[in-house]
Amino acid sequence: MVDLTPIAKYRAPDFTNEHEIGVGDGPHTTDGKTTQISDVVIKAGGQDRDRPTEASNSSLGQLRAKLTSLQDNINIFLTERMKYAKEQDSKDIERRILDDGVDEDESD
Amino acid sequence: MTVDLDKRLRPGRDYYLALGLEGSANKLGVGIIRHGVGEPGPHNSAQVLSNVRDTYITPPGEGFLPRDTARHHRHWVVRIIKRALADAGVCGRDLDCICFTQGPGMGAPLQSVVIAARTLAQLWNLPLVGVNHCVGHIEMGREITGAQNPVVLYVSGGNTQIIAYSRQRYRIFGETLDIAIGNCLDRFARVLKISNDPAPGYNIEQMAKKGRHLVELPYTVKGMDISMSGILQYVDVLAKDMFSSTPKKNKNLVDQESGELITPEDLCFSLQESLYSMLVEITERAMAHVQSNQVLIVGGVGSNERLQEMMELMVNDRKNGSIHATDERFCIDNGIMIAHAGLLSYRMGQTKELKDTVCTQRFRTDEVWVNWRDD
Repeated sequence: MVDLTPIAKYRAPDFTNEHEIGVGDGPHTTDGKTTQISDVVIKAGGQDRDRPTEASNSSLGQLRAKLTSLQDNINIFLTERMKYAKEQDSKDIERRILDDGVDEDESD
Repeated sequence: MTVDLDKRLRPGRDYYLALGLEGSANKLGVGIIRHGVGEPGPHNSAQVLSNVRDTYITPPGEGFLPRDTARHHRHWVVRIIKRALADAGVCGRDLDCICFTQGPGMGAPLQSVVIAARTLAQLWNLPLVGVNHCVGHIEMGREITGAQNPVVLYVSGGNTQIIAYSRQRYRIFGETLDIAIGNCLDRFARVLKISNDPAPGYNIEQMAKKGRHLVELPYTVKGMDISMSGILQYVDVLAKDMFSSTPKKNKNLVDQESGELITPEDLCFSLQESLYSMLVEITERAMAHVQSNQVLIVGGVGSNERLQEMMELMVNDRKNGSIHATDERFCIDNGIMIAHAGLLSYRMGQTKELKDTVCTQRFRTDEVWVNWRDD
């Protein structure tokens, strides 16, 4: 069986080096942590009938499972990035209000 | 001039095969169609080899969220494709092209399905054909009903348009100014906690059959266009009063003639009568504009029997009028319509490079060059 292991590369202006995201140590399954049904649907009484099928033992099946792990890692990484950007943005607004006394957007 | 639809015929074959993938909203559909060589028509009609569909169903009172709908499509698409191929008795290398819905629709579900289409195209080395969802409905409706050049009423969860063909475009004569009719029905169903299984519109229709009192609702036709958000807002207020634990004395919730209380069934009945009357009015005006006596109803809401009945009453009053509609296999979103319209495009040489297969949520019906017609 051929071992197929995917990786993802991320570049951004504030990153000096290319950031590489891997699949992690495993075990790998097609049931991803970040690709579950929305909580709001479950809370409303919905049932999850859309679970993915299990990965087969073939090379492509194992690649499918590893891709799900990779997708999880990408999602976690990007969510943290967005959270960080949002925090920076709110700090910036605070600074502008405190330093300038007025938010530029409000003066329009 | 006659259109030559056989420029791409494979050597040694006298037919074409296409696989169509649809996933612009909560239905995931895969269909395989066969076209015989030569001009399509009553003596050379398309053959539906398979038409498989799976619907993402939400709990009552909930709409379908893009994220969960896309997840449904991602996790079912391979199983549905396998089933469609098995039903048709064909394999990947037998196909001429892979057709997919390029828009309009919800971004995330469209994106899930186009990835499947790209994968298949690369796996089997086949060209890709991007299809406008509305044009898919129109072409399948024409094929199934045999309507030659009808005024098309396209009514679904995301679209409400009156369309007529002119010079290789499906031109939009009138449309909704705000929400689509199916969206209006779905949101109304949510307010009244009507089940989403099999479809909110179907359940509204069944309840409407038991309605006995007509509640007067806003009637908003503006030229060739209609507006439905006002009706929804009005019904929303009525429904809230109806279900309130301390009901206000809302005079609109009492039938003026009998003094009886208005029921959810009466609201369903009134909503259908008001909305469909507006549609009938603008359809009739479009028929007068283009001097047509045929109407073709397509889209999910087109399977509503009361709409078909009301439209039929109008059409029968016109000289040689005829109405055409399809059943739920072709009316409700499906893969076969994408395969059919896509195969027509393919036969005329309209294919997409991989880089041009990006989906778009906004894709107007009249943007498509209908070069397979020249009438």
